[in-house]
Amino acid sequence: MISNFAYVRARSVAEAVKALGTKGARLHAGGTDLMGCMRDGIFEAQKVVSISGLKELKGVSARPDGGVKIGALTTIADIAADASLAGKYAVLTQAAAEVASPQLREQGTIGGNLCQRPRCWYFRGDFHCARKGGDMCYAAEGENQYHAILGGERCFYVHPSDTAVALVALQAGLTVAGPSGTKTVKVENFFVGPDKDILRENILAPDEIITAIVLPPIAGSVRSSYRKIRARRAWDFALASVGIVLQYEQETVSKARIVLGGVAPYPWRAAAAEKLLVGKKPDSAVAAAAAQAATEGADPLRDNGYKVEMVKGAVEESILALA
Amino acid sequence: MRTGEPYFAQTGAGAPAGQTGADLPPWGETRIVGKPLPRVDGYERASGTAVYVRDMALPGMLHGAIVRCPHANARVKNVDVSKAEKMPGVRAVITGQTPAAKIPWYSGDKGPTSWLFDAHCRHEGEEVAAVAADTPEQAQDAARAVSVEYEVLPFVVDHEKALEAGAPAVQEGGNRFGEPSVYQRGDVAAGFAAADAVIENTYHTPTVFHTAMEVHGSVVQWDGDRLTVWDTTQGVFNRRIELAQIFKMPLSSIRVVSLYMGGGFGSKLEVGKYTVIAALFARMTNRPVKIFLSREETFLCAGNRPANRIWLKAGVKKDGTLTALEARFSGPAGAYPSWDALSSYQISDLYLCPNVRTEEQNVFINAGKARPMRAPGFPACSWALEQTMDQLAAKLAMDPVELRLKNIPTVSQIEKNIPYTTTGLRQCIAEGAKTFGWSEARRGSRGDGHVRRGTGMAAGMWGWAGEPSAIVIVKLLADGSVNLNMGASDIGTGTKTVMAMVVSEELGVPLEKIAIEHADTATTQYAPDSGGSQITLVCAPAVRAAAAAVKAELLSLAAAELSQPAAALRLRDGAVEQTADGKRVPIADLKSLGERQLLIGVGRRAPHPAGKTALPFVAQFAEVEVNTRTGAVKVLRMVAAHDSGRAMSPLTYKNQVIGGFAQGLGLAISEQRVMDRQTGKVVNANWHDYKIPTALDVPTSHTCLPIDLHDTECNTTGAKGLGEPATIPSAAAIANAVCNAIGVRFFDGPITPARVLETLARKGA
Ligand SMILES: Cc1cc2nc3c(=O)[nH]c(=O)nc-3n(C[C@H](O)[C@H](O)[C@H](O)COP(=O)(O)OP(=O)(O)OC[C@H]3O[C@@H](n4cnc5c(N)ncnc54)[C@H](O)[C@@H]3O)c2cc1C
Repeated sequence: MISNFAYVRARSVAEAVKALGTKGARLHAGGTDLMGCMRDGIFEAQKVVSISGLKELKGVSARPDGGVKIGALTTIADIAADASLAGKYAVLTQAAAEVASPQLREQGTIGGNLCQRPRCWYFRGDFHCARKGGDMCYAAEGENQYHAILGGERCFYVHPSDTAVALVALQAGLTVAGPSGTKTVKVENFFVGPDKDILRENILAPDEIITAIVLPPIAGSVRSSYRKIRARRAWDFALASVGIVLQYEQETVSKARIVLGGVAPYPWRAAAAEKLLVGKKPDSAVAAAAAQAATEGADPLRDNGYKVEMVKGAVEESILALA
Repeated sequence: MRTGEPYFAQTGAGAPAGQTGADLPPWGETRIVGKPLPRVDGYERASGTAVYVRDMALPGMLHGAIVRCPHANARVKNVDVSKAEKMPGVRAVITGQTPAAKIPWYSGDKGPTSWLFDAHCRHEGEEVAAVAADTPEQAQDAARAVSVEYEVLPFVVDHEKALEAGAPAVQEGGNRFGEPSVYQRGDVAAGFAAADAVIENTYHTPTVFHTAMEVHGSVVQWDGDRLTVWDTTQGVFNRRIELAQIFKMPLSSIRVVSLYMGGGFGSKLEVGKYTVIAALFARMTNRPVKIFLSREETFLCAGNRPANRIWLKAGVKKDGTLTALEARFSGPAGAYPSWDALSSYQISDLYLCPNVRTEEQNVFINAGKARPMRAPGFPACSWALEQTMDQLAAKLAMDPVELRLKNIPTVSQIEKNIPYTTTGLRQCIAEGAKTFGWSEARRGSRGDGHVRRGTGMAAGMWGWAGEPSAIVIVKLLADGSVNLNMGASDIGTGTKTVMAMVVSEELGVPLEKIAIEHADTATTQYAPDSGGSQITLVCAPAVRAAAAAVKAELLSLAAAELSQPAAALRLRDGAVEQTADGKRVPIADLKSLGERQLLIGVGRRAPHPAGKTALPFVAQFAEVEVNTRTGAVKVLRMVAAHDSGRAMSPLTYKNQVIGGFAQGLGLAISEQRVMDRQTGKVVNANWHDYKIPTALDVPTSHTCLPIDLHDTECNTTGAKGLGEPATIPSAAAIANAVCNAIGVRFFDGPITPARVLETLARKGA
C-alpha cells in the first residue's frame, strides 16, 4: 500500500522540471511503473509530479530531415498502431506491440518505458539488494534464471524495456529538458551499467525529463524486425529479444544493427554479429555464423545459460526472416 | 491423500426415507437440464453489480492489517507496538501476548502444533501481530510501524534436502510428517519378474498456487454473543464448525455468509487466521472489522499445491497388459501439518494391474502450508503415471491409446474390486481419440525444421464420490414463483445455475421465476464444501427431491381443483397442463395454492449406492508445437473427453473443462514457486513473476466432449463430478505431446523454454 505523498499536476515542462527539483520528487507519466514501485516499497516519493496533461509531449510527427519525432508521452499502444512508423521503423512498432498487455500499452508511455525500473525479482521483492542501497546482489548466487548473461557486474538485472532495444537498433536520439535547458543524447548512450553506477539505470538527473524521441531518417532499402521470447505470450518481459535493422544494397547487407534485450543491464549491441553480416548475402550459413557471434563474451550465471542458445535461435530466425 | 481413504471423512448414514427422492425415475427427455442456458447470475457477475465480500462496507467498519515474519525461520524476540498504537486512526493492536489471541492453530492429533501468533515463525509470511484502524491505508502504515526483533534460524525449503541428515528441523519431531502411508496388493516382485518390459524413472512436479481471482478475506461483526462472518469461502457450514470450535460457541450463534465467490480451487476450504483476527478486533472495538489479504500475502499464506517427487516403476507384458506398478511419492506439506496432498490413487485404480505397491511420505519444510488444490495430488500422479504409460507403449512399439485400452478395469481395484456404477474410461479414450483424429495425427509429419509438432494424450480418474449430507428446501409461492433454498456456495462454477435448472425441470417454472437463497448458515440448510467435485452430485439430487415433493403436492391440489386424476396432469411453463388435450391453468390461478400461499418441499441426498463406487473418468488429447531454438512450447489444440455422468449444464461444463485444462497447462509449462536458496523466501510471490497462462497461451481450439453416460445409480440426476477431473491429466497430456514432437521426455516440470533448451543442450552434448 502506498504511503502519503504530495501531488503536482504540471502545466508546462518548465514547471515540471522546477517541481522535480525538490527532494523526494518523482515524475509521473502513465504511472504504470511508478505506482507499482511505490506500492511495493521499492522507493518512496514525497511528491509526485504528473506531466500527463502536457499535450505537447504527445504524438508522432514527421521532421524536416525525413526523420520522425515521437513525444515522450505517446502511449505504447499509439506507437504500435502508428501507420507512419509501421514499414520503415517496423522494429519499433513490433517491439511496442510486444510490450506487456493491451491495458498497459494504452496507459504506459514511451518515455516511461525507457525509464522504468528493473524487474529483477530481488529488486522488486522484499530484499535489500545492492541496487536499493544494500550490500549484496542476491541474484549473483541466488535464483538467477532470468538474469544477465552479458554486462552484469555486481548487479545482474536485465533491462526490461522492449522499445529501448528497438530504439538503439534505430540509432534514435532523446531530447532531454532540465533546469539549464534542453540537450540531446543518443539512446545508446542513455543507459548506465552497474559497473558505472549501481543505483541508477540511466543518465537522467532527478529533475530531467525526456521530452521526445527522435528517429533518424531512413534512406534506401531497410528491413527491420523485433523478436521477443518469453515464458508466456502476453504480460511478460523478454527472456531474450533481438532487434535487427539491416540496410540492403540489392541482396547484400550494407549496414547492420543487431541489439539484444533481456540479456544485459542495457540494450546490448551484438557488434561482432553486425560485422559478420556486412557485405554478405544473409543465407543460412551467414545467419548461423552471426547468431554464433551475437553472444560473444557471454558469461552466464548458474541458471541462465539457456539464454545463450535462446539468443542464437532468435538472431538466426530473425535474420532469415528478413532475407 | 491416504491411498484407499476417501477424499473427505464420510459422515452421516444418509437421509430418512421419503426425502431423498430415491424412488424418482430417471429423467427421460429433458426440457431444461442439459440445455446450453446462460448462468442465472451471469449479468450480476459480469456487470459488477454482484456484491462480493471485498465490496462490503458496514457502518463504522474498521480495517485490519497483519504484520508478517519476513524470514523463512525465526523466533520472535520482541514485538514493539508503541509507535503503531500512536499512529492516526489506529484502534487496536494484537500480538502473541494479547490474552484473547492465545488460540491454538494447525492442531494435530497430539494437541496444537502452533498458535494464532506463534513465537516461532516457521515460514515467510507467518502472522506476528495485527493492527485495526479506520482505513486500510492507516492499518497498513501502522502494521509497517510495528517493530519486531527476530532471531533468525537456519531453514530448509527443499523437501528432498529436508530429509537429509543434519537438515534444520522444521517441527520439533523432525521433518517427516507422519509415517509413510503404504498401499499394497499382489506381489510386485513377481509382477516385474513376469514383465517383458520395465520402465523406471523419477519425476518432479513444481509447487504451484491456486491464485483464485478473488483474494482471501472476511468482514466480521458481533451482535452481543452472536457472530456474523461474511467470508470468501467454499463452504459456510464447515467454516461455522471451525469457528465454533475456536471460539467455543454453539453453532447456532454463528452465522457465516458467502453469497458471491471469486474462486477457491481448494484454498478456501479452511478458516483463515485473518477471519479470527478480525473477530478478535471486532470484539475489542465493538465495530465491524474487515481484513483482506493482498495478492502477495495469498502466495505466502493461503496454501499451494505442493511439489511432488515420484519414483515410479512399471512392468508390462508384450501384449500390453500391466504386470506391476510400484511407486514412492514425497512432497512438502509446508511448515505445519496440512492436507495430505500426495496421491497415488490412480496408480492403484486407473488401470488393471494385479500387483501394486505405493508409498507416500509428506515432509515439513519452511514454507507456507499446503492446502488442497483442484484434485489434490492427482495431476502430479498423472504426470508420472501417464508419461510412464507412453514410455511402456514406446518400448512395446504399441500405440499409447491402444496400450491404455488394454488395461481398462470395470471394478475398483483399490476398493477390493467393488464395481463402478458406471465407467466411461474406455469411451473417453476411444471417442476422444476419434474426435481428436489421433491415428492420423500420430502418422502425420512432425515437421523437419526447428519447429516441431507433436500429439499426446493422458487418461485419468478422480477418487471422491461426495459427502452424503445435503438438505435443500424448495418453496413454491402463490404466484407460481419459486425460492430455492440451499446451503452450497457457488464459487464460480455455476452451481446456482445447475440447481435452478433442476428446479425448472421438475416444476416447469421458468428460470427467471426461481430466486436462490444460498450459502448462509442462518437461512439455508447444511451443504458440504464446494470442493472435491461433489456439489452437483450431492446437491442436485437433493434439489430434485425437494422440487419433486412440491410437484407432487401441487399436482394433487390441482387434481382436486380441476377434477382430473393427478396422473393426467403435468407442469409446463408455469402452468398445470392436461396431458391429453394441452388445456392449461397457470399455477398462479390455482385457488387451492392461493389459500395455502406456500408449498414446501424438503430434499436430501440419498446414501451412496451400496457395494459400488461412483467416480468420474477422463481422457484429454493435445497437439503442441515446440520451437527447439527458443524453447517455446505452444499448445495448438485440445480435446477433452469426460465421463462425468449427465452433462447437466453444457455451458458451465465447458467452462470447467477449459479452465481445468488451462490450469494444467500452467502446471505443465509455466507455473512454479521459486524460493531463494539464500534466504528461503519466495521470489515470485506475485501475479507477474508467477506465470499463470494468459488468454494467448491457452489453445484457440478447445473441444469438450461429454461422454453422456447417465449414472442413475449414483444419484437421481445421473451426474458425477467434473471440476477436478478437468485438470487431472492435462499436464501429462501436454508432456506426452512435447515428447512426441521432439523426442525428448521431460521428467521434471514445468517445461519452460529454459528447461527445453537446457535439456536439448545436454542431450546434444
Ligand atoms: C505487469 C507489467 C508488465 C510489463 N511488461 C512489459 C514488457 O513486456 N515490456 C516492456 O518494455 N515493458 C513492460 N512493462 C513496463 C511498461 O511498459 C512501463 O511501465 C510503461 O511503459 C511505463 O510508462 P508510464 O508512462 O506508465 O511510466 P511511469 O510509471 O509514469 O514512469 C516510469 C518511470 O519513468 C520515469 N519517467 C516517466 N516518464 C519520463 C520522462 N518523460 N522523462 C523522464 N523520466 C520519466 C518515472 O519517473 C518513473 O520512474 C510492464 C509493466 C507492468 C506493470
